[in-house]
Amino acid sequence: MNQVYDVLIIGSGVVGSAVAREFSRYRLTIGVLEKELDVCCETSGRNSGVLHGGFTYKTGSLKALCSVEGNEEFDQVAAELDVPFKRTGKVVVGFTDSDMQSLLKYKAIGEANGVPGLEIIDRQRLEKLDSSAGGEFAMYSPTSGILNPFIYTVALAENAKQNGVEFYFGREVIGITRKNDIYEIITNKDVYKTRWVVNCAGLNSAKISTMLGIEGYTIGGFKGEYFVLDKKVGKFLNMPVYPAPGPTGGFATHATPTVDGNVLIGPDSALVDDFADYGVTSPAMEKLIIDGQKMFKHVKREHFIRNFSGIRPKLINIETGQILDFVLESRTEAPNAINLVGIESPGVTSALPLARRAVALLREKETLLPNEKFNPNRKGILCFAKQSDEVKKELIAKDSNYGEIICRCETVTKAEILQAVHNCLGVETVLGIKNRTRVMMGRCQGGYCETRIAEIIQEELNKQATEVLYGRGGSTMFTGKVRG
Amino acid sequence: MAIINKDVVIIGGGPAGLAAAVQLRKKGIQDIVIIEREKQLGGILRQCIHDGFGLTRFETTLSGPEYSQRFIDLVEEMNIKYITDATVIDLTPEKKVVIVSKKGLLEYQAKAVILTMGCRERTRGAISIPGTRPAGVYNAGVAQSYINLHNTMVGREVIILGSGDIGMIMARRMTLEGARVKAVFEVLPYPSGLPRNIQQCLEDYDIPLYVSHTITKIKGHSRVEGITVSQVDENMKPIPGTEKEYDCDTLILSVGLIPENELSLACGVELDDRTKGAIVDENYQTTVDGVFAAGNVLQVHDVVDFVSLEAEALADSVAEYIKAGTLMYCKINIITDTHISHTIPQKISGEKDLKICMRVKKPFKNCKIDVLQNNIVIKTVTMKKAIPAEMIQIKIKKTDLKSSDIIKVVVA
Amino acid sequence: MNKEYTCIICPNGCEIEAQIAGTTVLSIEGASCTRGRLYVEQELIDPQRNIATSVFVKNENIPLVSVRLTHTIPKNRIFDVMNEIKKITLTAPIVINQVVIKNVLGLNSDVIATKHVCV
Repeated sequence: MNQVYDVLIIGSGVVGSAVAREFSRYRLTIGVLEKELDVCCETSGRNSGVLHGGFTYKTGSLKALCSVEGNEEFDQVAAELDVPFKRTGKVVVGFTDSDMQSLLKYKAIGEANGVPGLEIIDRQRLEKLDSSAGGEFAMYSPTSGILNPFIYTVALAENAKQNGVEFYFGREVIGITRKNDIYEIITNKDVYKTRWVVNCAGLNSAKISTMLGIEGYTIGGFKGEYFVLDKKVGKFLNMPVYPAPGPTGGFATHATPTVDGNVLIGPDSALVDDFADYGVTSPAMEKLIIDGQKMFKHVKREHFIRNFSGIRPKLINIETGQILDFVLESRTEAPNAINLVGIESPGVTSALPLARRAVALLREKETLLPNEKFNPNRKGILCFAKQSDEVKKELIAKDSNYGEIICRCETVTKAEILQAVHNCLGVETVLGIKNRTRVMMGRCQGGYCETRIAEIIQEELNKQATEVLYGRGGSTMFTGKVRG
Repeated sequence: MAIINKDVVIIGGGPAGLAAAVQLRKKGIQDIVIIEREKQLGGILRQCIHDGFGLTRFETTLSGPEYSQRFIDLVEEMNIKYITDATVIDLTPEKKVVIVSKKGLLEYQAKAVILTMGCRERTRGAISIPGTRPAGVYNAGVAQSYINLHNTMVGREVIILGSGDIGMIMARRMTLEGARVKAVFEVLPYPSGLPRNIQQCLEDYDIPLYVSHTITKIKGHSRVEGITVSQVDENMKPIPGTEKEYDCDTLILSVGLIPENELSLACGVELDDRTKGAIVDENYQTTVDGVFAAGNVLQVHDVVDFVSLEAEALADSVAEYIKAGTLMYCKINIITDTHISHTIPQKISGEKDLKICMRVKKPFKNCKIDVLQNNIVIKTVTMKKAIPAEMIQIKIKKTDLKSSDIIKVVVA
Repeated sequence: MNKEYTCIICPNGCEIEAQIAGTTVLSIEGASCTRGRLYVEQELIDPQRNIATSVFVKNENIPLVSVRLTHTIPKNRIFDVMNEIKKITLTAPIVINQVVIKNVLGLNSDVIATKHVCV
């Protein structure tokens, strides 16, 4: 295409979407190139969904600064973007003396980072906070919370779109050249031109960085597997329960309630080569049960609904194996490029603070004029199931599609599904609808509603059966009609 | 919200709900409503287009839709009220039923509630099959719905996990529509469906069945590309070194049915851990007064004719309940030995003739099922062959019962 | 010689052991009713089967009507019959037992609708 964008962002995970939203506050033409068919398909959608307190990161590091900043502002962010968020607090539990040493260490780091309210608590207090938690004692972090990372990313992206950002899905960047101060970004489908590039490619950020001319980064993919537990046991867990970090830092398998009432058990950690392989493995599953039960006493096989995995894009020092801080930079080797590399946890918490720092890097080189039409507020899809009977009645009276329940397990109505199908980003996949409405996430995992969702997609978007995609490019669900 | 009083609310308009409604009317109960979430009555039978239904009841072999139509015709003839496209979202222990429909939120205050919601399929996630999550993995019932109701074909090169009846029926169905079903794998050491289905669904079409096998990996990035299969040991654990790879674009799962009791739990009904259905007495009354259950939501059935009989027996009791306001207290428990998975009912009064439904946990040849009270055999059933896939029914007369002691059912 | 059969006539699925000589049944064991022997005899000369499938309906809401055969047909003609069924398009209204194909391929079985389809 011939248009020269002011800014093109590569990757629409939580960071790319946050960057898009923050840049849309200014008078710039902005586009986002995403290789998958929806936002939030990789790391951003495959994690514990925690708003971190910020106490495990080296004082003064970007991870520390951004997570504390992101944590503090999130009530307002959640209100602006209309996303579910619960500031539940978190307990990091311990059993042994060395666990206690670890907790004291992180309490001190947290306080140095400006994390408020950290306290060491005993079993009695721990019981009162969360009686299902394992552990003899704990560090309590009252500012930690839980959110839905997918809905958060969608909200950021939709707000960006509403404020003028264009999204291009199914565009994998395969090459970048620079000519006459303009970047040419070559994708598997077409070529885009832009003055500025922002690399938000997560697992592929080192690859894109190299394409930009900034060499030397290595991303280590650390795969973590999770189990999702039934909402039946979700009501027993008030807040995330994490084990005290071991000598290498970082959290092992923990138990995290979700904003929807499920529980996540995981993740474990294993270095992998293939960043596209999200397969879940048997040995990991067995271990998750054992480790999970230490944190949350209600972990039982019969409550498992499904499992999934994510791959953490850790920036590593290839010689020492050390995990490095976030990289957010602009270098002379790549003028007008903003390079974000190695954004793993606390990436979700840090997304908007990182985005603002990206804006600051651009502002160093150019004057930015405000976008007068910028609206920070975005409305999500109203959740019918959570409304009172009075409101339910009003909704049905206004729109009879609220009276048709499609997903029985999660009580999701046709009205909500139609809104998801006609989302402003133009996403058309089954998983796109699932992630926006919670359909297919219940006990029957789509056994009842999937056929209806596929039908609605075909009707509303004028698609043939063979064009309905499950999630990824090429994920055709059907081979055609049976008759006719 | 105006609450409407109803004598009987039936949740689910499939074979059990329909049979219950018709029988209730025959017993003189007028004020009935059936709530059905689909656009039409019929339940799961709408998609079971193969024959084999109605052999005992109608002495002819019908397809699922024909069987249910016989009851739907009676419901229409008898002017029994039903609401379609309506989903029950809450049921209280006081028998308040809250329904979402296009007309708005409906609320019924019922004297009696009949639970006939059927069951759901066990999912891939619940059994945690390792591997990726591409398009092309379908539960057998979902594939059946796509093919028979939605005119949509789900795949061409098929592997099926689970030799339950639904899996075998789908093996035949997909083969008839031009798919190549390469194999059926079963984790147990014996097939879990009816033997006649092994013949007419698998052997007829040269589809091999491998028992003591399970799928240990699903492969494929966007769409299924293949699976890894392993043999399993006597504890159903995969044996390392026995892996075999199969190419396929579709994996059909037929790994069990679970009674759909979410509303029952909301209402406080106690479930039997063995059946995942309600604990009921000889009247099919659950542990909540005035709440009854029959059909697949109570125990997974193999033959729909028995579902109808069960629902009709339930309806007789509900009619009595409506007229008398209460039913006889049932305090005689029925327990089993370790060879038997469960009995329905789980408790009786001892004042009526009854029928015990049960299943064995593994196949037996030339066995006796003894019903004991106080270590005395009060009834024996001799069977040439007893398999888990076939429900066994034992008729007990009131006069067979010797006391009000616990009844034990064992494989002798 | 001895051969084993699973009778498919009814859900009992009796496992039958038959003594056969060529295409003659000498004796059988395991059948709960007389149809078992008839089944084995038929299997030896000309195995018969029923099939159920769907026919295309030109209709906005319901695209298919389920059909089955009124009588069994030779097992080796199943796919020939399927091909005939695939050629048909119907329009609503359709009633149960409506004949969709009379005497399909001269095999003495009709193809009938097993569902009502309203206009």
